[in-house]
Amino acid sequence: MVDKGQVIRLCRSLLRAGRQLPDYNIREYAKRRTFDGFRMNKNLTDHSKVEKAYAEGKKQLEVVERVVKVYLAYPPKTKNIMELKLH
Amino acid sequence: MASKAIFSTLRRSLTKPLGGAVSRRHHLSTTSAATASEPYPGDEHAIVMKGVRISGRPLYLDMQSTTPLDPRVFDAMNASSIYDYGNPHSRTHLYGWEAENAVEVARIQVAKLIGASPKEIVFLSGATEANNTVVKGVMHFYKDKKRHVITTQTEHKCVLDSCRHLQQEGRPRVRLEPLMNGGGQERGLRSGTLATQQVVGFGVACELAMKEMEYDEKWIKRLQERLLNGVREKLDGVVVNGSLESRYAGNLNLSFAYVEGESLLMGLKEVAVSSGSACTSASLEPSYVLRALGVDEDMAHTSIRFGIGRFTTEEEIDKAVELTVKQVEKLREMSPLYEMVKEGIDIKNIQWSQH
Repeated sequence: MVDKGQVIRLCRSLLRAGRQLPDYNIREYAKRRTFDGFRMNKNLTDHSKVEKAYAEGKKQLEVVERVVKVYLAYPPKTKNIMELKLH
Repeated sequence: MASKAIFSTLRRSLTKPLGGAVSRRHHLSTTSAATASEPYPGDEHAIVMKGVRISGRPLYLDMQSTTPLDPRVFDAMNASSIYDYGNPHSRTHLYGWEAENAVEVARIQVAKLIGASPKEIVFLSGATEANNTVVKGVMHFYKDKKRHVITTQTEHKCVLDSCRHLQQEGRPRVRLEPLMNGGGQERGLRSGTLATQQVVGFGVACELAMKEMEYDEKWIKRLQERLLNGVREKLDGVVVNGSLESRYAGNLNLSFAYVEGESLLMGLKEVAVSSGSACTSASLEPSYVLRALGVDEDMAHTSIRFGIGRFTTEEEIDKAVELTVKQVEKLREMSPLYEMVKEGIDIKNIQWSQH
């Protein structure tokens, strides 16, 4: 059975992995989608649904970690203007 | 919150040049990169291309043109590129069977998204070829008979329904004459070996679209409203081309009165957008095409197409609003047409001399 601690750790791992994405748009999307994804499922009570959502989250974490490695292997040569202006 | 502190630290370290010092003497190579990317010292972010100098890569608002590759699709395509090199039409070995499986999985993913049967999906090179195939193919097949069906891709449910309806009337099924002849792939409708990893990518993208549609729609609609309201707050004479209600939310096509389209685009170099307008001449006379469409003289000059997508951020929309408003105001200041309007001249009653 997936417990609350595991869920929080998974969320944190996804956020941490997403932060490494070099592309501005993809990085912001990963952050937003992770937050919203966990928020949408936070009231799930059915065990099997929780397990399924957790497994899906783990799968997405693997995708992000793989993709980050490849993206970093081809570093961007230019900076997005959204990254240049400090908000 | 701890994560906020992490975010802001990371943001600072990402935007500051590595090594701290901006002076040319303490340059690059001795500072070891914290990430694998090269350091960005000083104002060497600037990009000069085609005679244009911009401080950085523009924000992307041209989603109707092309969209960035979703990392989840990229991931699936990588694996497929490495392993699925067999010819999906080869019947005789494992490589062929595995590639064929990958293609058939993608076929089901596409079919599920649009509510079709996998048997109705034909893979070809893109939308242009698809349109050609359907329009020319159907017309050629039925050229001897009076009744033929011409459909548009967007009305897919309609296509199925009308074909089913025609079937009931005694029409066996809608037949196509193929555009590409050859080895008989895709049931003879489109010959040519399939590029397995492209097909796999397309399938995953369709599955993703189905899963994310509600979430993405909400986000894009929100950004569309933010863009339109943001611009309307600061500017008058903003017209939405096309119906605001019956439109895909990610497409916002705007016209700005008294501002010339090409010059607006030239001034919006930090925003990647498209102009939807026909090419206008150097004179003030509006395009005859747009005039024929019934567009008012003072509106016929401009149309800018903002394309919003899954990866667009709120900050980008705010920046686009800021830049657009600034540029439109600047151009209106310089515009003779705008001056005439301010003086009370009715633009519609001007007699343009014939060329």
